[in-house]
Amino acid sequence: MTAATTAMIDPFAVRPDYGPVRFLYRLNPLSKIAAPLPAMIALIFVRDPLTPAIFLGLTFALILIGAKLSRRAALGILLGIPAALIVLTLSFALWTDPARTADTTNLFTIADYRFNTGALYIGASTALRLTTLAALALLGGLTTDGPDLVRSLVQQLRVPYRIGYTALAAYRFVPRFAHELEIIRAAHRVRGMAGGRGPIAGLRRYLGYVVPLLASAIRHAERVALSMDSRAFGAHPTRTERHLVPFRTRDWLFIAAFWIVSALVLLALPRDFLPLIGDR
Amino acid sequence: MSAASAPASDPHLDRPRPSALLSTVGVSILHEGGTRPTPLAVDLAVHPGEVLLVLGPSGSGKSTLALALNGLVPHAVPASLEGEVLIGGRSSREISVAEASRTVGMVFQDPDAQIVTGTVLDEVSFGPENLLVPTDEVLARAERALREVGLWERRSENPDRLSGGGRQRLAIACALAMGSPLLVLDEPTANLDPVGIDEVYAVLRRIVRDDRRSVLLIEHNLDAAIDLVDRVLVLDRLGRVALTGTVDEVLRHRVDEVRALGVWLPIATLAALDLRAAGMDLDPLPLTARELTAGLDALPELPAPRLPGPEGEHRAPAVEVRSLSVVKRGTTLLDDVELSVPAGEMLAIIGTNGAGKTTLLQAIAGVVPPPRGTVTVGGLDPAKADVRTLAATIGFVFQNPEHQFLEPSVADELAHGLRIRGIPADEVEHRVDRMLARFGLTELRAQHPFLLSGGQKRRLSVGTALIAGAPVLALDEPTFGQDREHAAELLDVLARLRDEGTTVLMVTHDLQLVADYADRVAVLSGGRLLGAGPTSTVLAGDLIERAGLRPPPLTRAMRALANHPEWRSVSRLADLPVAP
Repeated sequence: MTAATTAMIDPFAVRPDYGPVRFLYRLNPLSKIAAPLPAMIALIFVRDPLTPAIFLGLTFALILIGAKLSRRAALGILLGIPAALIVLTLSFALWTDPARTADTTNLFTIADYRFNTGALYIGASTALRLTTLAALALLGGLTTDGPDLVRSLVQQLRVPYRIGYTALAAYRFVPRFAHELEIIRAAHRVRGMAGGRGPIAGLRRYLGYVVPLLASAIRHAERVALSMDSRAFGAHPTRTERHLVPFRTRDWLFIAAFWIVSALVLLALPRDFLPLIGDR
Repeated sequence: MSAASAPASDPHLDRPRPSALLSTVGVSILHEGGTRPTPLAVDLAVHPGEVLLVLGPSGSGKSTLALALNGLVPHAVPASLEGEVLIGGRSSREISVAEASRTVGMVFQDPDAQIVTGTVLDEVSFGPENLLVPTDEVLARAERALREVGLWERRSENPDRLSGGGRQRLAIACALAMGSPLLVLDEPTANLDPVGIDEVYAVLRRIVRDDRRSVLLIEHNLDAAIDLVDRVLVLDRLGRVALTGTVDEVLRHRVDEVRALGVWLPIATLAALDLRAAGMDLDPLPLTARELTAGLDALPELPAPRLPGPEGEHRAPAVEVRSLSVVKRGTTLLDDVELSVPAGEMLAIIGTNGAGKTTLLQAIAGVVPPPRGTVTVGGLDPAKADVRTLAATIGFVFQNPEHQFLEPSVADELAHGLRIRGIPADEVEHRVDRMLARFGLTELRAQHPFLLSGGQKRRLSVGTALIAGAPVLALDEPTFGQDREHAAELLDVLARLRDEGTTVLMVTHDLQLVADYADRVAVLSGGRLLGAGPTSTVLAGDLIERAGLRPPPLTRAMRALANHPEWRSVSRLADLPVAP
């Protein structure tokens, strides 16, 4: 039973401290969620491409300075996000109803379909909003580990530790179940599947995986629970915390700075030169 | 070591004394929805510094009893408890499991199900933190416990990176860090390979060396455990205490009663009992390989053993593997393996974890298709065959039988492989009935496969693999996590199939089962086939050591003989002489 666990990102890995420049690691996990939150909400409602573009640039800068990325991760971000941006822009542009952009310059026409610059404009702003949302989430995601997030939820937000630590223990189940599902699929394949091809047969096949997976999941969860009980989990309303995840002045400063910059970008940016298209 | 022990057979003298760390009085436990309580009216006591071994046949309630010893029954497990469990003098009903954990530390069978945090150090600290132990004391305890099990250097690693034996040592460290004077271990090595078993027992031996700690051990692998045990308690099939006393009193003097209860004895003892039946009395009765060697050496002369004769005529191969290499994501799992298995033989594939055993078996059976032209099974290349043809040629039994169940009843489960072939209904019914009878499942035909017992599930999975008429059967660690009784029961089934002409291939860690049952052994190490040959030849050579394994106990005992050179190659119970 060698569990296939190493291939995945290890949610339990301890993030070391990389010094004051890589400042994101020194922030409380909650401040890395709270700081970008207003910007993320605002991005759902803005329509122009410039606002998300500015946020994307800012986030890029913060990640490149404040996070220590492996070469692969850096490459993934520097190439992956622009690539996603291009693909999404084109897809959204093609999806856009040509009627909405009828008063913009026509780029090309295929039969009845007219592709206008306005469609490109709408596609770009939608794609920018999505990728920027993702990038803002990466700010904390790249530089926070699971246990620290749980600890700060317990320590600052007063989430009961019984919930936090149980969730963390349950996280261990994910790679285990993925591995188990792989075995079950192989086992069922060996038995020779009934019902042939097609979506209905496929669905039936998946339902067939559910029973053994659930049976084993429940058994495993029960065993883990017994092991936790045997080690006095939940004995007291609190537990000793060896790792304090403090919420310091720098966290307040980070949040305040982020909110002020967000407000400036959202409120003070002149938008007159960027007409809203297709949104009247 | 222990205070004066009660004479065997009189449980009443085993009543709790004030000094007992843990005692039970008339404990019966009935699981919710169960029909009869097991264990039944059990009295036991564990005193400071002693190691108590609890034995009993499958179904006698040993594990359930363990759950009651720290209050999980009745506090966390839906079961009703009668009688009284006294933990440090207090009734388990009156204290919480957390309170009990200060006296009783638990180690369970499955090491994977005992890990909740992300590093070895956090894991060991988990218990003391829950008890609100101050930080520096948590760290001191964690360091002591990790040093004791030899994991201190690996404290910052993710527990997933440890081997099975390493994770079980971690579970022991977690129990030690609770600071409890008594450890309860429920089948701690049942899920481990031989290397892991040795690691765990090396740690346990160290833990009980000084008399500060007590251990209650439930274990069926007596070969590994017996030399650290002080007292033995044997349950019968109904879960009652049948025998209790020192190792000497129970296992040596009342061995026939213990055996009659269906308890598996150490292999050295089984061998000695066979020898006794053949007129050779070893006194004292050996319990370990070393004692068996000494006992045999002390005898002036021995009759000739019944060693297997030279190989009979060569039958046509049922399975042929030619220069098979398997590479997965840049890692070479199998490297140029050549293997031929004669039809009607039982082949055991052995090796340490990661040696490529399962990969080889899965390639042969086409579970993971091998490169074309490297494997032939019954004239078929699994790389080219479709699933249905393949299933009619080679049946595959996964480690966990539940993984391959598809249908809602035992009979449908067996019929599945026939129905997808379009075999007429009456023929299906006939063949299913035959298979049910053959595997003793007739009365359970309407039962849901998931509701069968472990042994029944295993038999059903073998039946489904064979129903399409496959002449070759492949099994991946079929005895994993099972006790000796179930393991032997399954191997008897497989041996019968082999005698009827089925070729059986299996991956296993249990080398004594290999010695007793397999005709042929293939030894893998690091993806390469170190060698393959008749079992007696392989056990007599050095392949097993070269693969990083330890020979099975009987082989070890016989190899160490100073006298009787003709006995040194004895490796199977069947090699021993029988009564004239």
